[in-house]
Amino acid sequence: MTTVRLFAALKLRLLAGNLRGDLTRKLGFVFTLVMAVFLAALGFFLMSVVRFAPPDIATDIVIVVFSLFLVSWMIGPLLAFGLDDTLDPARLALFPLPTRQLAVGMFTASATGVWPLASLVVTAGALVALVSSLGGFLLGILAVLLQFALCLVASRLVTTSLSGALRTRRGRDVLAVAAFASLLLFQLPNLLLNSNLGDPLSLLRGTADLLRWTPSGMTAHAIADGGLTGLGELLVVALVVAAAAWLWIKALNRALVTPDVSNQTSSVRRDRGFVDRFVSDGPLAAVVTKELKYIRREPRYRVVWFSGVVLTGVLAISFSRFEGSGGPVLPILLTTLGGLMMSMQMCNAFGIDGRSLWMNAVAFGSERGLSLDLAGRHLANALVAVPVLLLIAVVAGVLTGSPDGILWAFCAGLGVLGLGFGVGSVTSVVIPYTVPERMNAFTGAAPGQGGQAFASSMGAMIGISLLALPFLVPMLFGLYWVCALAPFYGLAAEVLGRRLGAQLGFARMPELLAAVSKPA
Amino acid sequence: MKDAVRTTGLFKRYGPQVAVAGVDLVVPAGSFAGLVGPNGAGKTTTLSMITGLLRPDGGHAEIDGLHVWRDPVAVKARIGVLPEGLRLFERLSGRELLLYNGRLRGIPKEEVERRATDLLRLMDLTEAADKLVVDYSTGMRKKIGLAAALLHNPSVLFLDEPFEGVDPVSANTLTEVLRGYTESGSTVIFSSHVMDLVERLCDWVSVMNRGHIVAQGPLDRVRGGRSLNETFLELVGGGPQTGGAAGLSWLGRRETP
Repeated sequence: MTTVRLFAALKLRLLAGNLRGDLTRKLGFVFTLVMAVFLAALGFFLMSVVRFAPPDIATDIVIVVFSLFLVSWMIGPLLAFGLDDTLDPARLALFPLPTRQLAVGMFTASATGVWPLASLVVTAGALVALVSSLGGFLLGILAVLLQFALCLVASRLVTTSLSGALRTRRGRDVLAVAAFASLLLFQLPNLLLNSNLGDPLSLLRGTADLLRWTPSGMTAHAIADGGLTGLGELLVVALVVAAAAWLWIKALNRALVTPDVSNQTSSVRRDRGFVDRFVSDGPLAAVVTKELKYIRREPRYRVVWFSGVVLTGVLAISFSRFEGSGGPVLPILLTTLGGLMMSMQMCNAFGIDGRSLWMNAVAFGSERGLSLDLAGRHLANALVAVPVLLLIAVVAGVLTGSPDGILWAFCAGLGVLGLGFGVGSVTSVVIPYTVPERMNAFTGAAPGQGGQAFASSMGAMIGISLLALPFLVPMLFGLYWVCALAPFYGLAAEVLGRRLGAQLGFARMPELLAAVSKPA
Repeated sequence: MKDAVRTTGLFKRYGPQVAVAGVDLVVPAGSFAGLVGPNGAGKTTTLSMITGLLRPDGGHAEIDGLHVWRDPVAVKARIGVLPEGLRLFERLSGRELLLYNGRLRGIPKEEVERRATDLLRLMDLTEAADKLVVDYSTGMRKKIGLAAALLHNPSVLFLDEPFEGVDPVSANTLTEVLRGYTESGSTVIFSSHVMDLVERLCDWVSVMNRGHIVAQGPLDRVRGGRSLNETFLELVGGGPQTGGAAGLSWLGRRETP
């Protein structure tokens, strides 16, 4: 009991300590609290409403919801790894705690908090949804607690068994991309639903049948059943929870004594001077070379590129249903969207450099240096973006059945890319912010800089969209040839924006450095 | 003798807290200078302001007689910097980092490659040259950072805690390199709180405490016949008379069963 109290207190203290002295974090926490209470109430209400559905459908819904809960509990902490100090057992390794006590403690710590309680409330909503007898109610309470315990233990089991891998650099690199991929995976059902692959009811039925015999499926079924079958199912689930807990304790034991293996590293290939073939020797070539390497090697870049390309692809597929309806308009719109997504990465050009930006700062004595730096970044990004834009234009043109739009689309895409680089040069120096090293799936800015990140991307997006009107508006009237001028327009915007950015940025270099070097 | 570095009334505050309260730092050209002081004395802030990485709230700094904030082109070509914390471009290999640094400063590629190879050999990093910096140990990071700072042959070198967390072998390499460098007439200024090291390496020392310079001059004059450590403790007020372990009567006591 003392352990439970101690760890609950530790967790609460960590939460409180995180808030101390920083107004934005306090506001953030209040917002989280309000959101959690609201979502808990909403979730509970929605679960209760399920009662009005026919009983078999209600059971199916709860089965699916419970399973979704379990999966998100298993994945959630991975996406946010590093947000919670109680999650990593290595931090507790030096305390003289027997494993059992440590397990109880970490179980308590993960049950303490706003989101765990909210999810318990929503889970309890299943009682309203499914209970039809007193037996069902009693079994239901047990079932809800078991489902909650199952979520906690399963989530612990996953993080603990992966914590070794997560502490290595490579593990985190992989996770950064994987986390994002899994978020996109959640979009998949949405796409499927959109493309009318069947009616939702049979989809629900099929999914529920599939999940019926999983542990969370059984808990849901037990509440509805309320009889001996339900009791039997709960016994099985209890055994599963116990087994998972046992596995978790084993994993915990192992995690505490297994050394960090992150120092076994491989070499990178020596540069073969690819960039030097088309850029003359000097600072520009240096920046382009470095930037191309970063795009390839830095997981944060991989995440943004991956998401930009995939998002455009998803939209292209969704829109392709309007086949043959708009002529070149759709390919043009899709390709400009692709250009927008890719150029938006340059809206906070120095964010990923972060604290290493000093190295550039001590080398640049004038605006010209900064302008060269921006030019190098733009060139490197364009080297990747231009082929991708061409691909998008071709694919969108073919899918929408208007191959005559491909050329215009490509030109418009190039135009928006240039506009994005120009606008981004200004936002990069006016509203810079730190991109945290361990980017998780929920935020792309350091603590307390969410506002800057939002302002930067919104500002850039609005700016680019407005500047793109001169060639997008004529397009709506069928004047597609105007798009041919877009690349030149974009190039001009890039040059002007870069000059302005360099001028503003060089004057406030120390402030720029400070803004991208926040601890995260 | 000409001064390599001279600051006048350098001042910086963070909110209500004054980090550097009017520092007049002087370092003669060609000296191996140590900037010592307890944690929080303002060493890092001072060095950041002199190297142009942090904007001072008041006062000014000169390097080789050139105003740091008014003549950045000339100043930045003359200085090499190894800042605190040592965040480098992590996703480049050691060799790539040096190449990037040199070419960014406009040195032709072949020349940078030659210098990089020399420096990597000198720093004993040849084997790790093609590994990513993110996988380097602290000692290796300090060495590659120093190599990057030396690459463009600066006349004044600023090092913030260059020996912190560095193993004795690497530390020895670092000191050898720095000694050779000052013997050729260049200036090194490094911050540290390891007095033995400062005493062993430096011929000029500046002592900082609570944002002020409390003593400054040739090493022998500052320590005045005592060890630098004794002088330092007296200057910053942390001598044995201030209590120390007196309140911890339980520490070290063992009960016999």
